[in-house]
This record gives sequence, structure tokens and C-alpha cells, in this order.
Amino acid sequence: MVEAVAVSTTNSRRGERQRLEDAIFRGATRFFAIVVLLLLAAIMVSLFIGAMPAFHAFGFAFLWDQSWNPVKDLFGGAPAIYGTLITSVIAMLIGVPVALGVAIFLTELCPPLLRRPIGVLIELLAAIPSIIYGIWGLFILAPFLQETVQPFLHDTLGNIPLFGVLFSGPPLGLGVLTAGFILAVMVLPFIAAVTRDVFLTVPAILRESAYGVGCTTSEVVRDIVLPYTRVGIVGGVMLGLGRALGETMAVTFVIGNAHKISLSLLAPGTTISATLANEFTEAVGGLYTSALIELGFILFVITFLVLAAAKLLLLRLDQRAAK
Amino acid sequence: MSRYNRRRATNVIVLTLSLAATGLGLLVLFLILGSLLANGVPALRIDLFTQATPAPGNQGGLANAIYGSVVMTAVATLIGTPIGILSGTYLAEYGRGTALAPAVRFINDILLSAPSIVIGLFIYQVMVVRMGHFSAWAGSIALAILVIPVVVRTSEDMLNLVPAGLREAAFALGTPQWKVVVMVTYRAAIQGMMTGVMLAVARIAGETAPLLFTALNNQFASTDMDAPMANLPVVIFQFAMSPYADWQRLAWGGALLITFTILVLNIFARMLASWSGATK
Amino acid sequence: MTIEVAPVQTPTRPSPVSAPTITPARTAERGVPQTKVVIKDLRFYYKNFEALKGINLELYDRRVTAFIGPSGCGKSTLLRILNRIYALYPGQRASGQVLVDGHDILSPGQDLNLLRARIGMVFQKPTPFPMSIYDNIAFGIRLYERLSAQDLDVRVEQALRRAALWDEVKDKLKQSGLSLSGGQQQRLCIARAIAVKPEILLLDEPCSALDPLSTQRVEELIAELKSDYCIVIVTHNMQQAARSSDYTAFMYLGAMVEFDETESIFTHPRERQTEDYITGRFG
Repeated sequence: MVEAVAVSTTNSRRGERQRLEDAIFRGATRFFAIVVLLLLAAIMVSLFIGAMPAFHAFGFAFLWDQSWNPVKDLFGGAPAIYGTLITSVIAMLIGVPVALGVAIFLTELCPPLLRRPIGVLIELLAAIPSIIYGIWGLFILAPFLQETVQPFLHDTLGNIPLFGVLFSGPPLGLGVLTAGFILAVMVLPFIAAVTRDVFLTVPAILRESAYGVGCTTSEVVRDIVLPYTRVGIVGGVMLGLGRALGETMAVTFVIGNAHKISLSLLAPGTTISATLANEFTEAVGGLYTSALIELGFILFVITFLVLAAAKLLLLRLDQRAAK
Repeated sequence: MSRYNRRRATNVIVLTLSLAATGLGLLVLFLILGSLLANGVPALRIDLFTQATPAPGNQGGLANAIYGSVVMTAVATLIGTPIGILSGTYLAEYGRGTALAPAVRFINDILLSAPSIVIGLFIYQVMVVRMGHFSAWAGSIALAILVIPVVVRTSEDMLNLVPAGLREAAFALGTPQWKVVVMVTYRAAIQGMMTGVMLAVARIAGETAPLLFTALNNQFASTDMDAPMANLPVVIFQFAMSPYADWQRLAWGGALLITFTILVLNIFARMLASWSGATK
Repeated sequence: MTIEVAPVQTPTRPSPVSAPTITPARTAERGVPQTKVVIKDLRFYYKNFEALKGINLELYDRRVTAFIGPSGCGKSTLLRILNRIYALYPGQRASGQVLVDGHDILSPGQDLNLLRARIGMVFQKPTPFPMSIYDNIAFGIRLYERLSAQDLDVRVEQALRRAALWDEVKDKLKQSGLSLSGGQQQRLCIARAIAVKPEILLLDEPCSALDPLSTQRVEELIAELKSDYCIVIVTHNMQQAARSSDYTAFMYLGAMVEFDETESIFTHPRERQTEDYITGRFG
């Protein structure tokens, strides 16, 4: 018989020991959970401190100053920031429609047997590390674009007044557009997976009633599925954007690394992460390093805001779904 | 064209485009894998694994880089996994109703997608500057920071899948809570959590940016954790961007190795996940 | 040390029930029932909803008491108060008194783990732990007792024999508990519960997830175990209550409508509601 210590009181030694063990374990789990929070705070703080000298030296002008002169210690973040934003925008413009297409295919058109394998293959795209995209981009995609697509764009769209300036200049292969392409491929599987998952949450009955009144598949998608999943898609896109903004290696290989803002998409440029990757280890002198850290800080803030907004949107979606 | 025919045509166009989109995605995948095989296989000789990285124009391999990657990945996993599992345990088992849990979940998901180069910067500031030199420890810690959010997420998800009835049955025997978690709930979720660890390993195996200013690189074979250590991604970066043909060849070889490892890990993790799902 | 192997009794089979007929009460020949649990003015709240309204009840040792009633009447809620398993969930609280051997288990100083080690529970859905059959049984024993490997083996075998499972699993004790069939898993859970030699056994619809053959075996088991434990069983199957229990409590909408010897409840219930439920007019 278990120690019939009557209906035990808190004085039992065993009970006390169990309570202590429980408290220790619970405390340990809570501690490490807090570590996660502290980590983010620590990253913010340490970047902020590291960027202080640059804050003092350049102030807010850093955001639009285009100079980048290590010799004279004159730094401006504009080319890097511009490059980060423009490559990400291109990535979204190309990647999101393609991702939507993949999601529509997987949910509406694909034969059920193939759904899983194709889904897995698309997700493998996400598993391929950034540096592999980088060398593929450098050795395979860039020359290809230089030979075929870029001259084509240059000769056709480049002649349109005003808009054509986007495609002016010699096709180098490397440049902002190529970087945008690669980023598009990198965010594609991510957005496609999120979109497909969100599409699958549409209640069958909504779909069926639309088909029941004679809608075509594309109309069901356009009028039922997309509006229903709008918030989820936006959340997924923003998560993809957050990733595109921070991508380093793939971009570094193909962007051409020029600290310039050019209007042409065919021209080389740079992004924050590419600048950091290329220059940080060679940065001599406190202000150079500090300027680079300031770039890193700016990147972190931008990505944080985008990711936080995405998460809030998706949380709202979850709350709605829970009702 | 009648209205109906127009709608039919639109439908065909949209569906064709979606098919084309999928085809494009798959095409890129095969192009990348194809070029990896085409360019990487010629580099797969035994010296790839036995010799250290050479000076340009000389014979060599990637042995020190492979060693470095394996060691730093292992250390990062050993450090990050327990932290991740315990945090995930808090979120799943103890955090209900608290304000801390949703906050941790939110921040964790942001860390999950945060730019890894910024993590490298952070570790540079707090470790490399303080220690005065680059080191494999710094590289490992940077990678550990990437491991943690993945493991937190998967641990919490897997623990939440354990049915409440199982926990109740353990409590009903008079089991103290920590034993319920460790001896029953963990056991029930172990396969899923291992999958999470595998995915984390697959993630950091190819990460370059966080190592760029922490572990840096090392031309020579070194096992010193307190010094810069060669690793595959940074070596690939350096060699691929160089103008030397033999360096570039080694870079492709290294790229093939990394990709192959990551794909195997991913497929393994998937198989493990579906197998453990089947036994439930 | 001899291992006690209790023979399994076969209770008399009642005829198929439309208007219930009852097996003769077996309480008469086993002496005066000892009170094990006294429930006084028990109320239970889910957040602000009063799920149990002033329950008063006595549970007797070495007897089977059944809680019956339509869905949502509170019978499972009442059961789960007896080992305070509800305390796992925030927002649920009880007031009143539940005296086990004279001590109020609802008092704030009550150690819950030690309480639950004295009161065993079997749930509706079989929940074997993800470990070997042997470890499933040994788990509870190891929590509070330090036994040699040999003694542990003996206890495990005892429990499995008592639960009428030993013959089926004795050659595969190292296999996972999840590899057993549904009925076997439930008997494993029963073995697990009795292995720690509790004083009270709580059974929450133990047969509702089982096929008829397994149900029969479990009911035989309950009849068997009655001689050593105070057993409380929640069931939505009236015939089962009639077959297996000595006392029956009929509950409706959180209140105890009637509590009496099973024979009385089913042959001449005092309350109109009880009679309506038993004859199938509602529920």
C-alpha cells in the first residue's frame, strides 16, 4: 500500500521535494524562454552601440547620402539601402505571381497523386542554401541573362520613352535585375507553401457552392479563394519579403557590388547585406566599421518591422479562424 | 466571342499559367541540381576529403573546411538544441495563460526569419571584439543562434500534438509535473523533436553569412576552436569569387557536398516525420 | 512469496434490457458497507458556470458505485473531482467538502500528487504510455516505491494477472504498449492503475471506446476487483450500470437526483426523472 500517510499535508518531505524539483524545472524552461527575448534585445542593443560613432558622424543624412569613400571616411547608406529595397521589390514582383501560380496549380489542377511529390520538390527549393544560389547565379544564370534576356529587354523595353531607362545600359549579366531574379526564386517556395496552406483552409462548402452555380476554376479562385485567404496571403508575402531583404550570399555573388544608385535595372549595385559580406572583414578604422554596423542596424530594423507586421496579420487571421 | 467562351478562355489561360509557374519552379530546381552535379562531380576525388585547401595553382582538397563545418555545426547543435527544447517546453507546457508565452512565440518567429548576417555582426561585437580574434567558438555560437528558433518552434508544435489524455493519465498516477513532461510527454514527442533538430542542422549546414566575421576562414588545417577555422561555405565563397579555375572547381565540389547533405537531411526528416505520424 | 492469482468470476448474464431487469444485488452477502468517501455540498464551477450544484453523496469501500445520467449532467465532472485532476486546468474550481477517510481532499494544503497516488483513474480512451508494457506498469510503482528488480517483476506480473492481461502479454513485455489492441490497451491501463495499490479506483466510461467482447472482459474485471477497492464508474450505458454496480447515482443538469442501491434505482426509483431516464423517455 502506498504510504497511507492519510490525506497528506504539505509537511510531507516527499511532497516538498517534488515541489522543489517541479519549481526548478519550470524555472529552467522559463529562463530559456526569456533568453529568446533577451537575444533579440541584445542584438538590437549591440548593433545600436556599434553604430553610434556613425550616427554621430553622419546623422540622418546617412540615409540618403550616396558617397562611399573609405579613404576619406565618408559614408552614406543610400546605395545599399536602395539596392536592398529594389532587389526585394523585383523579387516580390516576379516571385509572388509565380508562387500564387504554383499554389493554384497544387490545390486546383494537380492530380492528387502528384500533389505530395511536387509539393516536396518545391519545398526542396527552399532548402537549398543561399550560397548555392549564389554560385549558380554567378556561373550559370548571369551569363545566360547576359546573352539572352538582358539584350532582349534592352532592345525592346529599353526603347520605350521614360520607362525604357530601366533597361538602359550595357547588359552585364550581373546586376540588380539578376539579383532580383535569384531572390524571386528563393522566396518562391516559401510563399508558395504558405499560400497553398492558406488555400487549403477554405471550407469545401464555399468552393462547392461556387462550382455549383457554374463558376470556372479560375473564377472560383479569383472570387472565392483569394478574397477568403487575402490576409493569409499578405502575411505570407510579407514573411517572404522579410527574408528577401536579409538575403546575403546569393545577392553578393550576382549584384556586381557597385556603390551606386543607377536607374537602370541592368546596372550593378549593392545591398546592405552584400556590402557587409564584401567589406566588413577588410574594414579598417573605427568609422568604416561603424558605418557598416549602422547599415546592419538599418537592415535589422527594416526586417524586424516587416516581419512583425506580417506576424500580426497572421495572428489576426488565426484569431478569426478560431471563431 | 460570347461571354461564356470568354470565361472559358480565361480559365484555360489562368490554369495554363499556373502550370507554367510550377514548371518554372521545377525547372529551376533541376537546373540548379544539374549544374551542381555537372560541375561538382569532377571535383569529387579522394583528395577532396584528405587534403587541406591549397594555394591557387596547387593541388588540394577541402578537408579542413569539411572538418570545420562538421565541428561547428555539431557544437552549434549541441548548444542550441537544449535551449530550444526547454524554451519550447515552456511554451507548450507551462506558458498557458501567461503574457510571456505569446511574446516569446512572436519574437521567436521573427528571429527565425531574421537576416543571418546580422547575427554574425552581433556575435562579432560581443565575442570577436571582446576576445580580440576570430574563432570557431564565435562561429559556433552564431550558428547556435540560428538553431534555437527552429528548435523552439518544432518542439512546441510537437509537444502540443501530444494528446492531453496522455498527460492526464500520468498525472492521475501522482506523477509530479516535471516527470510528466520529461518521462511521458517528451517520450511521446521525441521523433517529432528529432525531426526539428534535423531541420535545424540542415538550415545551418549551408549558412555562410554568420561565419564571415566570426569563424572567418583558415587556409590551414586547424582544430583549434579558439582560432579562425575553415568551413565549407566561406571557402566556397572565397574560391568561387576568385579567378582561379582550380579554386572554382573545388568550390563546385564543396557546393555539391553541402547540397547533397542538406537534401538528405531534409528527406530523412520528412520520412521520420511521416513515419512517427503513422504510428500514432 | 506466492503470487496471488484470483480466479475470474463470471457474473450472471441479465436478459437483453428494454425495461431493465436487474441481477440480484450481491451486496447483501458481503457485510455492512464501510464508508470511504463522503461528499458534502459539493459545487463545481467552470469559470462562472455552475456545473455541479450542491452534491451530497457517500461512496462505500469494496463496492461499485455507478454515476449515470444524460450527456452533460456532470457525472464525469464529479468523478474528476475525486482525484482533483481538474486542478490541471485554470478556471475550474470546487467548493464544499470531499472527505476521504475523514480528511477533506479539497483543502488547500492537500498535496495533489500524493492524493492521486492513492486514487487510480482509468479514462475513456485507452492511454498507454509510449514505452514498453513492462515500463507502463512499473512507471507508477517506481514513482513512490523503491523495489529491487525482482520485486518489481513480481508486482508487474501481479498487476497484469489481476487485469486478466498476463497470459496475453507475458512473452512480449518489452514491446511497446501501443502495439496492443484497443481492449488490451484498456486492460493495460487498468493494470497500470492497480499496480500502485490505490485505495479508490475511478473509471470514466472505461468501455465506451471498446468492442463488445472487450467490454465484457473489462466488466468481468470490475466485478473481480470490487473485493479490494472502492470503485466508482461513470457510464452512459444504463445496462452496464445495472449489471456491474452495487450503488447508482442518477444525475441531471449538475444535480444529484437520486442515489440508492442499484436494485432499488432500477426496480422502483423514487423520483419521476429517474424513472423517465431509466425507461428511456429521455437522455
